[in-house]
Amino acid sequence: MTSATSTLTGSDPADGERPERGGSRDVRLVYWLFAAFYTAMSVGVCLLGRATPPPRPDVTDLQVALWFDKHQLGIQVGFVFLLVIAGGAAVSNGIIGYFMKRMSSGKVLAYAYIAAMGVGAIPGFHLLLICWLTATFRPDRDERVLHLLYDLGMLSYNGSLGCFTAAYAVLAIAILYDRNRVFPKWFAYISIWQIVTEVVATQMWLFHSGALAWNGMITFYIAVVIFGLWVVCLLHLMRRAAGAETSRTPALYAREA
Amino acid sequence: MTGTATRGTPRRSPDRDRRLPGDIDMWVMVLGDLFFFGCYFVTYMVFRALSVEEFSAAQRHLNIGIGVTNTVILLTSSVFAALGVIAVREGALKKAERLLLATGACGVLFTLLKVHEWHSEITQGYTIQDEFFSFYYVLTGVHLAHLVLGLLILGIAVRELRDPRGRRPGIIEQSVLFWHMIDLLWVVIFAILYLMR
Amino acid sequence: MTTPATTDKALLEKDRRAFLLVWIALSAATVLAWLLAPGEPESSADLGWGPAAAIVLLGLVKCRLIIRYFMEVRHAPRWLQTATDAWLAVLWITLLGIYLFWPGSQ
Repeated sequence: MTSATSTLTGSDPADGERPERGGSRDVRLVYWLFAAFYTAMSVGVCLLGRATPPPRPDVTDLQVALWFDKHQLGIQVGFVFLLVIAGGAAVSNGIIGYFMKRMSSGKVLAYAYIAAMGVGAIPGFHLLLICWLTATFRPDRDERVLHLLYDLGMLSYNGSLGCFTAAYAVLAIAILYDRNRVFPKWFAYISIWQIVTEVVATQMWLFHSGALAWNGMITFYIAVVIFGLWVVCLLHLMRRAAGAETSRTPALYAREA
Repeated sequence: MTGTATRGTPRRSPDRDRRLPGDIDMWVMVLGDLFFFGCYFVTYMVFRALSVEEFSAAQRHLNIGIGVTNTVILLTSSVFAALGVIAVREGALKKAERLLLATGACGVLFTLLKVHEWHSEITQGYTIQDEFFSFYYVLTGVHLAHLVLGLLILGIAVRELRDPRGRRPGIIEQSVLFWHMIDLLWVVIFAILYLMR
Repeated sequence: MTTPATTDKALLEKDRRAFLLVWIALSAATVLAWLLAPGEPESSADLGWGPAAAIVLLGLVKCRLIIRYFMEVRHAPRWLQTATDAWLAVLWITLLGIYLFWPGSQ
């Protein structure tokens, strides 16, 4: 972090020197919170919680109980941690909303994005944590109940899509109508791929094995590559957009005195 | 066929500069889509190879006549779209608009035939219970979703042509580019689902 | 030398003829591929080596015609030509390879 005068841009026209880095300090701070949250989420879900890569959908009650028993500690540590920092999702949506409000396409789309992502996080993220934490903290329950929690967690995590498709759609529309070129147009198209993969993910409700089950090549692995690509592009583009803000960029909110 | 001569000699059409048709954003979309559809196609082929007998038997229930008709319809739509771009370059905007509308009409016709095909397959009992048909519905469904998006984009292009303040040739090129991609993907889908059995 | 305007007109006319020829070729290739695939639903014979390779080759040619002519990649920068050709080659060779050589697939 550089000195205060050079980082707080857009505030002091008397400041003769150009700031060393574009963007205000709080935007950069929230940007890094976004990056940290997504990293923590990947670690928690993939390494500790074992939800990605997904366990098998075609297992028996007993196998589910054994699986929860084997990964009990990882799930407990990882998911309790994620439950504590889950608010990071709100901050992450906020920073995207901030850049969307910079677009000329209107604030409604920014609010729609934030709301859709916010609601989507409940089935798409929270419910998985809660189901699997319940299963690992109550291992004495009936195996069939554990199996239900296992299925409910995974299907909710991967198969809940309406809110996300809406969020990606409004993001794409906002970018395509934006005349300020905050994000490039190709990112709108990549967001449209996300909609397609989310819609294809409906199939995992129907299949217990094969390419279209929740651990399938099409419904999961190709979709996850597209999602990963989307996040990496978003990180890069937000960094660029933050850097493009100059001292003449109007503030979106009033500065504290 | 490549349109380029070997290095050192003058190009076959020296009065024509190399340029990117459409814009780079649309090419990111097209190349990315080609890549991911390619992954779908290879996945399908691997699963097919794992149970050839079942897939091959199921593939025989497809109506290859409808498949061929739909292929020709899409190829025709593409040539209309390509001619539309030429019309825009000539400044014949009315003609371009008519050609793009013809493209869209072919797209609608394709959709109707596809829905009819799905309907008759489902009523015959070929549902996603069968592994081949689960792939079939997903691949053709994702393709049809792209086609509907393509119709929307064509609509934007036609609006652009009608608006005297608009008429940016770039927009027309981009939307037509997307349309050709739909055609291109269908050619592959037709070959692997209907023909290679 | 002709003026730029007439050159443009001649070029556009040339493109138009090329598009129509490509369209005829594409439709012909489609019908030809149809004839190669066994028609009757009852016939249980798999495609042999030859027809399968022919269908793949026809598909490849059709795709390349669409990319090069309709999508105008023949006048595009070389990186785009390389990228699309690479996609075509990798995709169709992989598809044919899996079809023919996957253990137990023939």
